[in-house]
Amino acid sequence: MNRWLIVVGREYMTRVRKRAFIISTLLGPFLMVGVIAAILFIGVSSTEMNSKVLIVDHNNLLTYTMPGEGDVLLPSCPECFPERSFLEYRFASKVLDTEAFLESDFTAMIELDDGIMQSAKALLKYESAAPMKVQSAVKRDLGEAIERLRVKSESTLDYDTYKKLKVRIGLVTQNIVTEDRNIENKSAIGFAFSAFMFMFIMIYGMHVMRGVIEEKSNRIVEVVISVVKPEHLMGAKIAGIGLVGLTQILVWALLSWLLFLGFGVYAETSGLLLDLMGEQGSQVASTDFMTFIQSNEELGVLLQVNWVMMLGWCAFFYLAGFALYASLFAAIGAAVEQESDAQYLLLPAMIPLMFSYVVNIFIIESPDSTLATFCSFFPFTSPITMMVKLSVGVPWWHVAVSAIILVMTVLLLVKLAGKIYRTGILMYGKKPSLREMARWLMYKNR
Amino acid sequence: MNDTPSLELFEVSKRYGTHVALDDVSLKVPQGSVFGLLGPNGAGKTTLIRMVAGITGPDQGSISFFGEPMSGEHISALGYLPEERGLYKNMRVGEQAMYFARLRGMGKKEAERELTDWFKRLEVDGWWDKEVADLSKGMAQKIQFIVAVLHKPKFLILDEPLSGFDPINASRIRAEINRLRDEFGTTILLSTHDMSSVDELCDHVALINNGKKILEGPVSALRENARAGRIELKFRGNLIGFTAALGAGAILHDALSHGDNIHDVVLGLPPSIPIEQFLKWATSEVDVLSCTPKAVSMDEVFLHAVNAVTNTDPS
Repeated sequence: MNRWLIVVGREYMTRVRKRAFIISTLLGPFLMVGVIAAILFIGVSSTEMNSKVLIVDHNNLLTYTMPGEGDVLLPSCPECFPERSFLEYRFASKVLDTEAFLESDFTAMIELDDGIMQSAKALLKYESAAPMKVQSAVKRDLGEAIERLRVKSESTLDYDTYKKLKVRIGLVTQNIVTEDRNIENKSAIGFAFSAFMFMFIMIYGMHVMRGVIEEKSNRIVEVVISVVKPEHLMGAKIAGIGLVGLTQILVWALLSWLLFLGFGVYAETSGLLLDLMGEQGSQVASTDFMTFIQSNEELGVLLQVNWVMMLGWCAFFYLAGFALYASLFAAIGAAVEQESDAQYLLLPAMIPLMFSYVVNIFIIESPDSTLATFCSFFPFTSPITMMVKLSVGVPWWHVAVSAIILVMTVLLLVKLAGKIYRTGILMYGKKPSLREMARWLMYKNR
Repeated sequence: MNDTPSLELFEVSKRYGTHVALDDVSLKVPQGSVFGLLGPNGAGKTTLIRMVAGITGPDQGSISFFGEPMSGEHISALGYLPEERGLYKNMRVGEQAMYFARLRGMGKKEAERELTDWFKRLEVDGWWDKEVADLSKGMAQKIQFIVAVLHKPKFLILDEPLSGFDPINASRIRAEINRLRDEFGTTILLSTHDMSSVDELCDHVALINNGKKILEGPVSALRENARAGRIELKFRGNLIGFTAALGAGAILHDALSHGDNIHDVVLGLPPSIPIEQFLKWATSEVDVLSCTPKAVSMDEVFLHAVNAVTNTDPS
């Protein structure tokens, strides 16, 4: 046992202290947040160059001619066309021809016709495509202006009263048995978990295979297994590398949480929160970040997920699922002498892993389907599928049965893989076929 | 010295599929000896060594270690240097040596002390924090040797310990092997192709061929045996007269005349005639300049033994 722990310690320490591991572990969450922020930033910064939109209003539908100055039009409803940093409106009664438009400093031109009152459609002409943000601002501004006209022409209500009366229904869904709400959004979180699960099993499973091949090809393994039984060496390797992955998962979780809280504090103090709420037209006037998240339709789900439970099960299913696949990878590593020879053996081992990841796309659509239920019990797919099931809520017995099946399979598979490992690790000079590896399972112990 | 052999193999066999790697091999390695395990490639040496190192077990037969059946408890008493060897690339020299020392059951402090000592002795001090990738092959082999002997094993297995060393370092390692035996009473099982190192190091040998042991014993006895009573005689006198006088008393194997009536001859004496009795007779016949038992190299010992087996074995 003591020797076993020494081996586990080596496998763990030599990997955890590697610069690449430390950097990816510490920077991982920042990178992910960074990528998301970069995408947002690119979206924002592309609107930095001011858009200047010319609205051509032949019949003074939304405008009036400023007295005294012949051709300058002003909006009849100035608050409909507010000043924005990235968007500026000008109004005219005549269309510019193409040449004149290209020469002008306008980035886009909209020609209003009478039909817009009925069709609610307008044509935006551009030289270079208007950013999404500009388009949606134009849509909202123009929409509100038309809406005002409609309200004015068809009812006695004033516009403010109309706006108060307007209703948008929010649909909250709830499972009648488990009382879990909004599973659609939660299953997206589960999907994210399963994607990480897939990634970790894959990356660290390959570590196991490479480690086995290294020991075999430089024959260190002979010295080690003269001290530790080969099965125990394999087990120690899987345990040590599995813990490396778990370390990374836990550090990422912790850092992400801190990052989330940190962002909250930043948003509260910098006034960003107010901007965000203003932009979304949130009714809850609060400077509290958590309240903001809670009131937000999409983000609110973040507070409804039981993160501790998710992380706990994630750790369990990661360790068990990793042990399952890693023992396959270890057996494969023991059978070959270099990584390139492992390809043809790797494929059959990876198919169920790939399958469970791909099939998850269907499972988030309907987490209670037969396929989902099957995959959540089948040990080769359950570590990944269960992440989605757990996120949307699943009866406790379901989790228990799935966990027991998984653990039993792991125990069996580690034993079988150990037999292949024991024989393969000392065999040099030939590439065994799958059939031959199956025969190794029958070899007598030691 | 204790009479219990440090290692005893009793009718050990090992098969891989249909291939018989070892066939009914029995061996006794006396305590405190340097025991040479010899044989051509594929003879079964590696299989035997792996069994003794505790990597595999026999299909049949038994192995005992200082009189007890071999078990996991003997791990700390064993040291093993495999033939093809390597080190972990992602570990530094010192910590790597520490790792193996601790696997063999050494405490941290003790391992550190011993390592410092050995690093000095083999002139590799200052390598502690070196990357393994920066070591030359010979340097790496020194480290591997240290790793094998660090925990002062009672029984040390060395598979081709000198291969890959330059002559200077080879002789240094040879001296260390002798020192381990003389100072600590370590028993050393040494597998090699290199007959000169057998001559210099081993006091017992066993020869394995095709999975069978064909020869075992103290080097001196085997040499005496292979000499088959042959002596080298240098004399002044008449060669033809001398040969005629010999008659059937001894066999003339070889003769070389130097002129001036001086001759070198190799004679085979029957076991019934001791060398002293022969000398008495010879001095009466010719002017004997020198007389020595024929020097037999280990090469000859083994060729003799292998030939004897192949000649009597109809297969």
